[in-house]
Amino acid sequence: MPADVCAITLAVGTRAHSKTERERVEKVSGNQDPTRGRMAGQERRIDDTILIREAQRGNRGAFEELVRHYDQAVLRLALHLTGTEHDAQDVYQDAFLKAYKNIGSFRFECSFYTWIYRIVTNLCLDHLRKRNVRKEDAPVAKDGDGGEYDLLDQVADGRAGANPERDLMRRQLGARISGALEKLTPRERMVFELKHYHGLKLRTVGEILHTTEETAKNTLFRATQKLRGQLADMR
Amino acid sequence: MKCEWVRENITLQVYGELADDARHELEQHVARCADCAAELKATEEFHELLSKAPEFTPSPNLVAASRMRLQEALETAEQGGFFRRLAFDPANWLRQVRFSPALASAILILGFAGGVGTAYKVLDHPPSGTAAVATPAPTEASITGIRSITQEPGTNQIEIKYDTVSTLQTQGSLNDQRIQELLLFAARNNYNSGVRMDSVDLLTQEPNVSAVRDALIYALRYDTNPGVRLKSLDGLGSFVKSDVHVRDAVLEALVNDSNPGVRTEALRLIEPAKADGSVRGVLMTLAAKDQSQYIKSQARTMLAQLPEID
Repeated sequence: MPADVCAITLAVGTRAHSKTERERVEKVSGNQDPTRGRMAGQERRIDDTILIREAQRGNRGAFEELVRHYDQAVLRLALHLTGTEHDAQDVYQDAFLKAYKNIGSFRFECSFYTWIYRIVTNLCLDHLRKRNVRKEDAPVAKDGDGGEYDLLDQVADGRAGANPERDLMRRQLGARISGALEKLTPRERMVFELKHYHGLKLRTVGEILHTTEETAKNTLFRATQKLRGQLADMR
Repeated sequence: MKCEWVRENITLQVYGELADDARHELEQHVARCADCAAELKATEEFHELLSKAPEFTPSPNLVAASRMRLQEALETAEQGGFFRRLAFDPANWLRQVRFSPALASAILILGFAGGVGTAYKVLDHPPSGTAAVATPAPTEASITGIRSITQEPGTNQIEIKYDTVSTLQTQGSLNDQRIQELLLFAARNNYNSGVRMDSVDLLTQEPNVSAVRDALIYALRYDTNPGVRLKSLDGLGSFVKSDVHVRDAVLEALVNDSNPGVRTEALRLIEPAKADGSVRGVLMTLAAKDQSQYIKSQARTMLAQLPEID
């Protein structure tokens, strides 16, 4: 067995398509079957396998369908890590183009999910390493005309409700957290993002980052301690 | 030492990453140690604080723009195909052969048999000058598996049974059973919603066949594409009154479908059967508390047209 073989279960439900499909099936039947989620996961995996094989034969439509299964999670990760829509789009574009060009070498030794995340995290790590440390507290993005705007203003959030004061506090908190995240090392930040915001198991995080679960655990511990230090006055 | 271990593992506990035995040990310790209990509480509070911040979620516009940009780039992108790698990356080729011993043996045997067979034929008919046209060897990518390899005793003839994947084409009328079977397969299994739409569209022309009706009901219930669901509704419409399964499926779509267009169409189709008890029950529920004002008012109108039940 080769060293890079990995068997990973899909632990997160961030793929919008599968979620809505499952919800729909549950809604129609009107009962809750505990095995259904597992079965839906297996169906999706089979579905992906067919799409990957088709894409490997040069079927672009199949690849685009595959992209739609994963791209929202990819974009979310890229948006979190780069902090700007423009950079997130670049990472998205580079990641899927790389995946398209190299899908022929995908040998089903790990899930496509892990494979694409590996590509995205590598691109994001490069981005984080190259980027100068931001001075601003709030994540600032540039729009099409080059004007800057606060990315937090673009965040759709149903929890804010009709309480502007609480909304403002949450935005300030978001800005402080973003500032604290900027101070982590790229690798600490990546482990924290994948665990905290994407809910991945540390075993999966380790496999994505080509490291051990134990190292991922230590990195998460370090990242959390640093963040707690940075945000000590917020509690 | 114990406290140190606990503090290192509290983060993992908060993230649900601790093994069962370690979790038990940690919980036991925290119950006895006030300092560690305070640390656990502080970590949990910090975790909660982080989750209070707004999350960056890509807007639908950003997703759509990214997809369009990618599609444009894919138009010109070249894929590193299998044959290219076969030609330019011998290490990778060897690696594949290593992982596919059955395939490797099959290719070896095919090559050997092909060589022996050609030589035999050339020797057998030297003057004729017509070379035997061998069946083109299947490409490796098209072979999905080797079923069996047998050698005829005492000869050098080898028989290999293998499965291939290839694009085939068939033609026929809608009454043709083979065509119907393929349409039914496409309606249920194809990942391309355009193909599902086409097959459901054609199947609606033959709704009297029970398998077709089942496929349309399946599409109405489970297809992810609202267009396909709407198309299957059209095909089922005329059976709402006579077929109770169709009626149930249309009622389910009326109550549960996520698409307002599908629900509106279902409501229109159910009208001929509005006197039915189950339909009346659904209409009463919709008239009382449906989120859509249109559905609510239509259901009320339909109920008002029905005679009162004593």
